[in-house]
Amino acid sequence: MISQIFILSSKGDHLIYKDFRGEAGKDAVTAFYEKVTALTGDQPPVVMSHKELHFVHIRQGGLYWVVTTTADSSPFTLVEFLNRLTTLIKDYCGSLSEKSVRMNFALIYELLDEVVDNGYIQTTSTDILKNFIQTEAVTSKPFSLFDLSNVGLFGAETQQSKVAPSAAATRPIMSSRGDQGGKSEIFVDVVERMSVVIGSNGVLMKVDVEGEIRVKCYMPSCLEMRIGLNEEFSIGKSQLRGYGAAVRVDECSFHQAVKLDEFDQHRILKVCPSQGEHVVMQYLLSDELPSAPPFRLFPTIERDNGGRLLMYLKLRCDLPPKSSAINVSVTVPVPKGSLSLSQELSSPDQKAELRPETRAVHWDIPRFPGGAQLSALFKLEVPGLSSASMMEVGPVGLSFELPKYTCTGLQIRFLRLTPVQPGSSQRWVRYVTHSDSYTIRI
Amino acid sequence: MSASSAFSDEKGGSSSVGEPEYGHDPASGGIFSSDYKRHDDLKEMLDSNKDSLKLEAMKRIVAMIARGKNTSDLFPAVVKNVACKNIEVKKLVYVYLVRYAEEQQDLALLSISTFQRGLKDPNQLIRASALRVLSSIRVTIIVPIMMLAIKEAASDMSPYVRKTAAHAIPKLYSLDPEQKDQLIEVIEKLLADKTTLVAGSVVMAFEEVCPERIDLIHKNYRKLCNLLVDVEEWGQVVIINMLTRYARTQFLNPNLNECLLEEGGESTFYGSDADQDEDEDEDKKDEALSKRKPYVMDPDHRLLLRNTKPLLQSRNAAVVMAVAQLYFHLAPKAEVGVIAKALVRLLRSHSEVQYVVLQNVATMTIKRRGMFEPYLKSFYIRSTDPTQIKVLKLEVLTNLASETNISTILREFQTYIKSMDKDFVAATIQAIGRCATHIGEVRDTCLNGLVQLLSNRDELVVAESVVVIKKLLQMQPEKHSDIIKHMAKLTDNIQVPMARASILWLIGEYCEHVPKIAPDVLRKMAKTFTNEEDIVKLQIINLAAKLYLTNSKQTKLLTQYVLNLAKYDQNYDIRDRARFIRQLIVPTDKCGALSKYAKKLILALKPAPILESPFKDRDHFQLGSLSHLLNTKAGGYQELPDWPQDAPDPSVRNVEVPEWTKCSSREKRKEKKVEKPFYSDSEGESGPTESADSESDSASSSASGSEQSGSGSEESEESEERSDSDEEEEEEAKKRKTQKKEPIEALANLRRGTCPSRSLTTTRTARQTAANQSLRILSPRQR
Repeated sequence: MISQIFILSSKGDHLIYKDFRGEAGKDAVTAFYEKVTALTGDQPPVVMSHKELHFVHIRQGGLYWVVTTTADSSPFTLVEFLNRLTTLIKDYCGSLSEKSVRMNFALIYELLDEVVDNGYIQTTSTDILKNFIQTEAVTSKPFSLFDLSNVGLFGAETQQSKVAPSAAATRPIMSSRGDQGGKSEIFVDVVERMSVVIGSNGVLMKVDVEGEIRVKCYMPSCLEMRIGLNEEFSIGKSQLRGYGAAVRVDECSFHQAVKLDEFDQHRILKVCPSQGEHVVMQYLLSDELPSAPPFRLFPTIERDNGGRLLMYLKLRCDLPPKSSAINVSVTVPVPKGSLSLSQELSSPDQKAELRPETRAVHWDIPRFPGGAQLSALFKLEVPGLSSASMMEVGPVGLSFELPKYTCTGLQIRFLRLTPVQPGSSQRWVRYVTHSDSYTIRI
Repeated sequence: MSASSAFSDEKGGSSSVGEPEYGHDPASGGIFSSDYKRHDDLKEMLDSNKDSLKLEAMKRIVAMIARGKNTSDLFPAVVKNVACKNIEVKKLVYVYLVRYAEEQQDLALLSISTFQRGLKDPNQLIRASALRVLSSIRVTIIVPIMMLAIKEAASDMSPYVRKTAAHAIPKLYSLDPEQKDQLIEVIEKLLADKTTLVAGSVVMAFEEVCPERIDLIHKNYRKLCNLLVDVEEWGQVVIINMLTRYARTQFLNPNLNECLLEEGGESTFYGSDADQDEDEDEDKKDEALSKRKPYVMDPDHRLLLRNTKPLLQSRNAAVVMAVAQLYFHLAPKAEVGVIAKALVRLLRSHSEVQYVVLQNVATMTIKRRGMFEPYLKSFYIRSTDPTQIKVLKLEVLTNLASETNISTILREFQTYIKSMDKDFVAATIQAIGRCATHIGEVRDTCLNGLVQLLSNRDELVVAESVVVIKKLLQMQPEKHSDIIKHMAKLTDNIQVPMARASILWLIGEYCEHVPKIAPDVLRKMAKTFTNEEDIVKLQIINLAAKLYLTNSKQTKLLTQYVLNLAKYDQNYDIRDRARFIRQLIVPTDKCGALSKYAKKLILALKPAPILESPFKDRDHFQLGSLSHLLNTKAGGYQELPDWPQDAPDPSVRNVEVPEWTKCSSREKRKEKKVEKPFYSDSEGESGPTESADSESDSASSSASGSEQSGSGSEESEESEERSDSDEEEEEEAKKRKTQKKEPIEALANLRRGTCPSRSLTTTRTARQTAANQSLRILSPRQR
């Protein structure tokens, strides 16, 4: 049972406040904000109590999403509900930010009215709610020249239109009555997150790849979509198909709207996409990768005659030559009390700095092509360097993004819509791999 | 269409008006005039006959409510629009009305007639929303009207309206608790509803209004179990929680006999030195079993477990957790394992969900360690986890540690110590300490590892490890005098006051184990006494006192010297302590009665601290509840009842003709065929005698036909497989159901209703025969 729901900006402004049961006073909002800000540390506890009132909150889009309750209701329900609420609002308002919430007060109140009745959650399905919601979303679109560049001479389709504008996937689903309606588009994203631990001897100690296929649909009238995956896609260890090059995952779960009658034979997912964003399929691969892990590190760490700490890092990118990694950031923890850093990097676009507050050297590489090898030499001034403090170096953490690449090798063969959409329908497929936690031990 | 285009023109204006309004500072101008004026033009807009203007006004009012501004003076102007034809305006008026009705009761009554008209509207959506808003207006005068409306809506044609009626029940109850009896009648009626839409909502109402009337559930139990898969996910959570409580009051504990068997198994294990004893042992076990009434799971209990299992695949974390706690509290030990995988899967969700899951997993790992052991790696810490999750994962890892995996866990811990997160490092060191206390074999390894950490440059690491070493040594000090010696040496290097103090305390406490070194340490400390921190000074005094009592020949002078230094210290605590100690230990002519007992006082045997999990006694709260998370009772927490000693009469759940099978005669026949032994079974069970059971056995085995032959264990496996394929079928059925095909739904239900009972009878037969006749089948299965 939910007593109140409120949304606060990161500065503590009240954006939305709704009381369902009249059990708690309005001072709850201030009480909550005081509690959150009083705490230091990276994350305040999910559940906090103030007198008889319990707060459950999450942070998303730079906002605090809070529910309060006085009774013993399952914290799972509340946390999960908040997560669903954020996706709902994202679907209806286009994006999740302070601005979009501010501009859509009326819409969000109407949503809350339909979603929660007297503190009981009724439904959080975007589809069902669409029948009830009347208010239209207000969006803010920054004017950009990029939009103009898509229009070719005399309105002809040009090369550029093969790339969707980056803002295209963040708009509300209910635009059919608005002026920017017309455009029916569908976005299919394959997103993978990998967490890897590589031992000091270069052996893979732990690999986890979590992936999902996300569909974001703006089609008003789409009956069925067929998504074809790699034919050699297999689940579990037992059913390997063909020779070697299979795309294998350990576990796989599907959205309840996915029809799997062609999945066993042809690896085709059939979905009736409703408007909004859905995770159609989630999968997990653990303990082994089909290819080498994307990065290997060869460190040499020693003490020079002058009592300085020398770190010679060689980083190799084992991606295929066609792909490349972007926004690579290497974090090397260094001994306490390190004073200054002198560096030798292989190219000028890289950056490295010593951050005393995190006790680490950060080495940023904006772009790292596959097959390349970069090296860096760091000299650290550490007063009172002992052999014990050499132990404090490591483990190295990497964060990166691999666009147009999936580590499991999952690809989408085709994307067919039935009935064939008239004219302007556009289909986009995007792949990306993120690092969740990529640790190399030294 | 023209209205909407006009509206979109307005939109631009609204944001430009809205923004400066927000930044408006009341102190800068006359509050009253500007407020008055603004509200005036809103009123004007509300009174106009253009919908677009009204809409614009309502939007601005709602925005003001959101910001917490008082707009109650607009009430009359707004309430007039409740009859507005434009549905967009109407809904915003509802938002406003629900917010302010309580404050302006008289004016709110003006709107009631509109709602009453709305309740008769041919459109189900309007009927439902009229009822919802009507029941949300918290005005006591309209209680009779609400009651009437709820009763009418409860027998409405549309399930959506009936669902809204179910939601209205708790609202009316909180407004006027005296209506309880009438409301229970409505609940009873709605509980019998056959649609999935209503089921969740009415159980919510049941839980709030009359959770003690468990008898209302009996007749609907099987229906709820069968519908469960198709109910809306938030409803599933509530129903599962309610059914957990129900099952705890109506069924027997499935693990009772297993406890007994385990004991029996152990006795054979120890007694099997001589082979010929075995038969006797088996006889004994047999006796023990037969003395106790053989446990047979109630088919309804099995039905619940079987029908909730597929929900572990749900995308909703709340549903997964609800099923997990149901299994944890209700299922036989052997079956609880299935939830581990689902819970581990939740660990890939948002960090908030992870936090709650880990709390529950930590509790489960204390009771059932084996369940999560295969997933050890999933609890390894990632560098990107927030601290609170890291600490919880450590907790789980520590609970999972056993002789077999301790080496991997310790190696993992070693790398954690290098982390930059100080709280986490401290927690890791404590975790190592706990592993060392629980698993004797690695205690020395852990101690050595911790001693190595003493040379770490990080003060926190050193301090924490000294504290943990101290605790470990307290458990068996006689073995580790070399470590105490090592630590004595460290006093020269370690600068962290807390660590120095701990070492001194340790040396003082166990000075008999290091008789040569202790006085020397005191000598060194006496030298540096004036430069030490306060806590270290206090410990030096303690050390001196202890040594004086045990070894006064060597340390008399030193102690005198230290006490003299302390006497003139700047800190009054230290001066106090010195005075106290001097009186206590140094014999003078007028020594008090206490000094006789000085040795007993100061050198008393201190109990070793117990390192145990903070989650140890959390399991008396129901898993997944808020109280469990907070570890205190939250308001309205209902304790999970204990299993009953004797099963209540299972026949109360019988329904004459299950109505949901009324779709075709052929299916009905099929249903009946299985249902028959099903019922006779449960009747037979109410009598605990053996003969009745075996009778029902023969009945059920004849029904299950050919499956009866063959060994029991094989069959149960078979039925497992079947249940897997059932799951898929259910998934399919669910999808088909979304296309609103009633007969298919009924068919799916039927299929679900029949299969479990069929395979159930087979497993039951197996158990019966095993328990009664040949233990040879039973014992390998049970191990």
